[in-house]
Amino acid sequence: MAAPLELSCWGGGWGLPSVHSESLVVMAYAKFSGAPLKVNVIDNTWRGSRGDVPILTTEDNIVSQPAKILNFLRKQKYNADYELSAKQGADTLAYIALIEEKLLPAVLHTFWVESDNYLTVTKPWFASRIPFPLSLILPGRMSKGALNRILLTRGEPPLYHLREVEAQIYRDAKECLNLLSNRLGKSQFFFGDTPSTLDAYVFGFLAPLYKVRFPKVQLQEHLKQLSNLCRFCDDILNSYFRLSLGDG
Amino acid sequence: MSKETVTRINSNYQQNGVSDGAAEPWPENATLYQQLKGEQILLSDNAASLAVQAFLQMCNLPIKVVCRANAEYMSPSGKVPFIHVGNQVVSELGPIVQFVKAKGHSLSDGLDEVQKAEMKAYMELVNNMLLTAELYLQWCDEATVGEITHARYGSPYPWPLNHILAYQKQWEVKRKMKAIGWGNKTLDQVLEDVDQCCQALSQRLGTQPYFFNKQPTELDALVFGHLYTILTTQLTNDELSEKVKNYSNLLAFCRRIEQHYFEDRGKVGV
Repeated sequence: MAAPLELSCWGGGWGLPSVHSESLVVMAYAKFSGAPLKVNVIDNTWRGSRGDVPILTTEDNIVSQPAKILNFLRKQKYNADYELSAKQGADTLAYIALIEEKLLPAVLHTFWVESDNYLTVTKPWFASRIPFPLSLILPGRMSKGALNRILLTRGEPPLYHLREVEAQIYRDAKECLNLLSNRLGKSQFFFGDTPSTLDAYVFGFLAPLYKVRFPKVQLQEHLKQLSNLCRFCDDILNSYFRLSLGDG
Repeated sequence: MSKETVTRINSNYQQNGVSDGAAEPWPENATLYQQLKGEQILLSDNAASLAVQAFLQMCNLPIKVVCRANAEYMSPSGKVPFIHVGNQVVSELGPIVQFVKAKGHSLSDGLDEVQKAEMKAYMELVNNMLLTAELYLQWCDEATVGEITHARYGSPYPWPLNHILAYQKQWEVKRKMKAIGWGNKTLDQVLEDVDQCCQALSQRLGTQPYFFNKQPTELDALVFGHLYTILTTQLTNDELSEKVKNYSNLLAFCRRIEQHYFEDRGKVGV
């Protein structure tokens, strides 16, 4: 536990500590569980090119992927789910699956595939944080990866066109947001008064959608109508991230 | 019916479940199509088909199961099973549930909003973990691929078509696994995920007869389809079914549904 934990992840903007969903999930979980993380924001890296970010480094380990990082933190006794019942733990897994299947495709589309958004916001932001000449290649690769993932999981490979899938994934995402909003209700967090893994995941996926300024915003508009989800994101930002934002 | 029309009908049901066929009652000659039972069908497709059959049994809607070697290609979305009701063709559990709802039958009407959210979340958990694990085991585990999958998948076709189709399908599945981050997983990690999923299902089920207490819903049908198929399918080893057998309430759950909805109604040999 005394070993320093370092997290490499994409940086922040628009009031967020990170604009990358998976990085944000890990950062939020670390705050909730009290894990002392030293955050290294990527702004000039070769490692990000393997698409592994976020990465947790300790003295003897290198862990990638949010689920594995969270597992690792839990084994180091940084456990935000300590007070959850068995059923709540099961619900956590189920809701995370729901978010990954129904919400993630539309979030990926909004950031990486929708051409207005990608060309005016996402690509310049990422390109400015990657050294030349990788900045010409990497954003394009990330965009193709996102499109691939959408088509392979929601389309009928290899013949489906994006148009047919687009309408469906946005419909699913709106339904998923509604379901999350219904589940949250008036509570502060998803399971009582203390935040847990599920809160970290929901925050990680919703906050970028909520805060980043895009030209094409249909999913963002829908999210803004669900006031309890917006309040949820703002609460976490204010309580857990305000101080670190002040430091830059 | 042209493929475009059929695809459109299918996506209509994914949308709002309302269509021309809504007004007609459920006919006696409704059929469900899947691949050949003995020699061809794979674990994941068998699970999907059983889930739909269980769902229709729970709704008390008669269905006849027909096995066709090219069921996958007949389906409007490329996935099995699909049902042919009146002049409509609908595939996959989600759209079928919507279609049946449009005809006035639903298992989840009695649930409140939070319960419906939970039900949907758990159905995604099964699709996300169990179904993906089944696909991984079938198509990415070399032992299973060599001994079982390749031979079964191509069995209705002559050489060299059987090999070509099997390799093509394997390539497609591997691409998908890589896209969702399962490409680098080992078999042990996949079995761990299956265990986690079963644990979550077991904890959610608790001591209740069904997931939402007294009445079964589409979630129960989906879970039954997958767990029963895992328990009763012969693979290269028993590791997958052992994971499920660790949870006695899940075993009792499967037995209960099998007895109540299949044996009692004279449908033996599910």
